[in-house]
Amino acid sequence: MNRGILLFAFNSPEYNYFKMAEFTAKRVNHFLNLPVSIVTDKNSYATSTGYAFDNVYTIDSDPNNTFQGRVWLNKGRYRSYELSPYDETILLDVDYVVNSDTLLKVFDVMDDFCCHESINFLMNEYNKKEHLDFSNVLTLPTLWATVVGFKKTKRVENIFQCLKMVQENYQHYGNIHKFSCDTYRNDYGLTIAHRIVNGHADVRSDVIPWNLTHIGPKTYVHKNNDDEFCTDYTIVYDKWMRGKIKKEYITIKNMDFHVINKDIFMELCE
Amino acid sequence: MDIQSLLSEAKARFAHNSAKDYLREKYKNKFLVADQNGLWVADVTTIATLQSFDTDKVILIDTHNRPVEIDRLSLLTKLKTVHQETMSLYLSEFKELETKR
Repeated sequence: MNRGILLFAFNSPEYNYFKMAEFTAKRVNHFLNLPVSIVTDKNSYATSTGYAFDNVYTIDSDPNNTFQGRVWLNKGRYRSYELSPYDETILLDVDYVVNSDTLLKVFDVMDDFCCHESINFLMNEYNKKEHLDFSNVLTLPTLWATVVGFKKTKRVENIFQCLKMVQENYQHYGNIHKFSCDTYRNDYGLTIAHRIVNGHADVRSDVIPWNLTHIGPKTYVHKNNDDEFCTDYTIVYDKWMRGKIKKEYITIKNMDFHVINKDIFMELCE
Repeated sequence: MDIQSLLSEAKARFAHNSAKDYLREKYKNKFLVADQNGLWVADVTTIATLQSFDTDKVILIDTHNRPVEIDRLSLLTKLKTVHQETMSLYLSEFKELETKR
């Protein structure tokens, strides 16, 4: 039974996702001792600094997606099932900072598929859970595509095939669930595909039983030392108090986190 | 500029409550134990439940809401060990936190 990590990285005009992937892959090797394969396109692969991925799959990226006026190449995750060379895979976002061996536990907790449903924003207590349906009629708690563990089973193949269908018919599902279709989000696609394949049942064993930790808005991350595999970080948060911004901070160590702001993640890669 | 100078310059305050939240999140997954075809939390409730039985085999609902027949003493020993080891690390970091100003 071989295990590994799968990353997707398509460079946009603003961000070098391949560089982020190399940073994350090195940390996976260091903290998890697992091989890393990557799905990318030719242009992104051309920016490689020489890190030896276990496998490199070059495919055509789909440029038809934007977020806040910028191109966001995040489509095609449904190909994870066919492309992963591993029996047990963790599909990981490149902006997830592996800072401990926590992800190894994902292999223990999953039957054949699992992902996060609950989240935690470090230092920002007002940002908790997201629901996919803004009409509150067909409301679904959002599943997060940041960390997805899967095995090669028929059910999982169906989930990824369904994800392809949802991606190709995103407007239709947006109309049903009343969310904005301007930007394709893998989180929403995965939430819908997972529900469809499971007969709209809430399958609790598919949920990773701890929170996905985000570094969210108004929150900044600084390395506490220059070690290549730094484990200590200072998190600074701009707290709004009595009409003024007061800076607060905590220090964290040996804890994984997902950085939403790509500019902050790029600084960590330097 | 190093991080300490940056914090000092910005007059940043150490956020004790947020730090406690962070520690609780960090240790949450460390109490999880996959054993005997089930997923268990090494918390005092599960340990006390296992201790309250006197039979070798017990059927319990695991964290995935599935009934699982388990070897009681084997699971009890494992959960107690994980609980003690994790709590020890948690306490150590918690004490370190309380010294910060």
